[in-house]
Amino acid sequence: MTDWFHKQRYLIDFSLAALGRRKVRNLGLLAAYSLLVFVLASVMLFTQGLRQEAKRVLAESPEVILQRLVAGRQDLIPPGYLEQIGRIRGVQKMEARLWGYYYDPVVKANYTFMVPGERQIPSGQLVVGPALARERGLVAGNLISFRSYSGRLFTFQVAEVLPQASELMSADLVLLGAEDFRAFFDFPAGHYTDITLSVANPNEVRNVAAKLAAALPDSRPILREEVQRTYASLFDWREGMVLTVLAGALLAFAILAWDKASGLSAEERREIGILKAIGWETGDVLRMKFWEGVLISLSAFLIGYLAAWVHVFHLDGALFRPVLQGWAVLYPHFRLTPQVDGLQLATLFFFTVFPYTAAVLVPIWRAAITDPDAVMRT
Amino acid sequence: MSLRPSTLALGGLALGLAGLLATWAEAGLQAQAPDPGTPALVRELGLTDPALFTEARYTRHLALSDRHAPFQDHPLGFDHFPSASLVAPPRHD
Amino acid sequence: MLFQPAIIALLLAAGLGVAALGGAAPFAWQILRRWNLASGSEGQLTMERRTYLFSSLVALVLGVQLAALLLFVFNADRMSEMFVGAMCAVGTLQVNAWGFPALVAQIAVFFAASQWLLINHLDNQARDYPLVRLKYALLLLLVPLLALSFGLQLAYFKGLRADVITSCCGSLFSGESRGISGEMAGADPRLAMGLYFGSLGLAVAALGSYVLRPAPGRGNGLLAGLASGLVFPAALTGIISFLSLYIYEHPHHHCPFCILKPEYGYRGYALYLPLFLGCAAGLGVGVLQLFRRRPSLAALVPPLAQRLAWVALLALVLFLGLSAGMVWQSNLILLEH
Repeated sequence: MTDWFHKQRYLIDFSLAALGRRKVRNLGLLAAYSLLVFVLASVMLFTQGLRQEAKRVLAESPEVILQRLVAGRQDLIPPGYLEQIGRIRGVQKMEARLWGYYYDPVVKANYTFMVPGERQIPSGQLVVGPALARERGLVAGNLISFRSYSGRLFTFQVAEVLPQASELMSADLVLLGAEDFRAFFDFPAGHYTDITLSVANPNEVRNVAAKLAAALPDSRPILREEVQRTYASLFDWREGMVLTVLAGALLAFAILAWDKASGLSAEERREIGILKAIGWETGDVLRMKFWEGVLISLSAFLIGYLAAWVHVFHLDGALFRPVLQGWAVLYPHFRLTPQVDGLQLATLFFFTVFPYTAAVLVPIWRAAITDPDAVMRT
Repeated sequence: MSLRPSTLALGGLALGLAGLLATWAEAGLQAQAPDPGTPALVRELGLTDPALFTEARYTRHLALSDRHAPFQDHPLGFDHFPSASLVAPPRHD
Repeated sequence: MLFQPAIIALLLAAGLGVAALGGAAPFAWQILRRWNLASGSEGQLTMERRTYLFSSLVALVLGVQLAALLLFVFNADRMSEMFVGAMCAVGTLQVNAWGFPALVAQIAVFFAASQWLLINHLDNQARDYPLVRLKYALLLLLVPLLALSFGLQLAYFKGLRADVITSCCGSLFSGESRGISGEMAGADPRLAMGLYFGSLGLAVAALGSYVLRPAPGRGNGLLAGLASGLVFPAALTGIISFLSLYIYEHPHHHCPFCILKPEYGYRGYALYLPLFLGCAAGLGVGVLQLFRRRPSLAALVPPLAQRLAWVALLALVLFLGLSAGMVWQSNLILLEH
């Protein structure tokens, strides 16, 4: 066993010396390889982090949300709607909600105006989300004016800014009292935006939804589990797409690796020829080349993965920001809880190390079977 | 005895592996103490969506928007917001 | 078809594997027909050189397949949250008819690949490649197996549609359902326990006796191999029929996959990894005995077999100890004393 170990260590020594003789080329390869791992790992870690955070947080979202559709579009809940639901058994609590969107021309951003269910906000006051406060430079106590859709100017006092820790969920929120909301949007009296329901028995949620759909044919119930499933698969297809797109990059990298491994310089060829002339076997040369591959791909994997970890969880995925932000002005500053799982690591490892290994196999073999005399004669 | 390159290389790899394990440990530690504020806020306000994409209303509330939402501007008016290309369409029917 | 990284990785691994082995097949055929070490002809020389390439290639492909089994199960478990009604890997595998066949094929590939890699390792150590014909004949058999596994996986993943209602493990592994998995759950716990501890005890004893006295005949080595092979189905039956009950502390929950979940402390991995390792290594001990008479291998087989026997022994003892510990620790009382 120790013999084997010593032999491998000498082989590693030798491979390192060989790698060192062509420093620039091998460092370039290592850098390209690490960068590839970094991009892939960043995508994977970021989406996984978002998914887990959504899963944790959305466990608290309403069990059933009821919308009303008119001609395929969401419409306001008219008076009398609530009473019809009350007769469905199993519904424990329901609440009609008021919320809507507002476009702020000052900073060209969309806000979500919402009337909180329990918290009472005095007339003329607002509670704002942290990203909005940052964008408009607001702190508690400031005054802010919005021009309503009817053209009137409303001035509110900021009572509070929501905590920064919850920014991922609350970045663009504006919370205000029901009276203010109705006045600001000229909201028809007795109408609501949608209805949230809670169901006594969690196993009954699907039945209740079916009953709702039957009793109110123009309604559209949205279940919490559907919301959660939507977010469980959020980015899933794009993650797959990104991988497919990056497959091009992977392929390019595999070609680079192939080329690098097959474009043996005359000098390298001579080296192998001499090694064989002094008694190395084909198997030994293969083993040395194998160690070269292992050293390069393992280092690249570790460097890329660790860099991606820092990027996603400590630099808040700074490189993704422009992509996710799109044309939006408000973008939440959030820090994802670090998440790692074996499946992802294994997949990542497979996606990066396997193509490299496969690509260099044939060129390495071709080098290893070189005849010593053929090389030395040339 | 001078330092052999293999010692250096294997040491470096071991360091990297230690870093990998450290990320695992960090994730484990953070999972122990999740921040309770956000779930409480979600429960209080009945929130359904993270404010990741605020550019259009159907991307702001992905879970609440329906299949027609991206084409509201006019019939055959294709969806033109960049973030809509990042997320799968809502899957509920 | 779900566009998921792990699925793409699995399909890529299996697809490339089939392509690589398929590419190696004509060469294998050539070796079977024309290999002659005594000849110094150009053809023989080329063949000898090519064996290096194909041995490494096949070793790479099969090594990846060993890891793919773990990835497959891990992924099935993870995807369960995407299907209504699926709570663990059983639900995911039942989404369509190809799930369980794909898993079984992957397990078969695992064991076949591990034995091929072992034979390859042994053959590479000998000077005169005594097993080269056998190796490539076996390779020709591996090609259809791997292709089958790839086909099943492709059919399974292609048929996946999120949101299809699937049954959770509660119904598949409960005593009433038919089919092979139902029978394992329905087996009398006493019988299953006897089979479980009996086969494990036999394997441990056979491996132990081989480790202590490897010299005489090939009898005890073959016995160790056979017993290790027997352990695998017996252990799976045992896990389904009684061990899982002790882990879940619930008299009717028979699922062999839920123990992989974090709620149960990932205990499944602690059980399955030594089980697969132990069975594969133990089988290897038996397989190696078949070659100990070959002159060039006579000196190579015993140390290798003994090392493998040690690995198998330790892994199975670990498995036995862990499972006994889990039964011991559990609050469930299944059998009245």
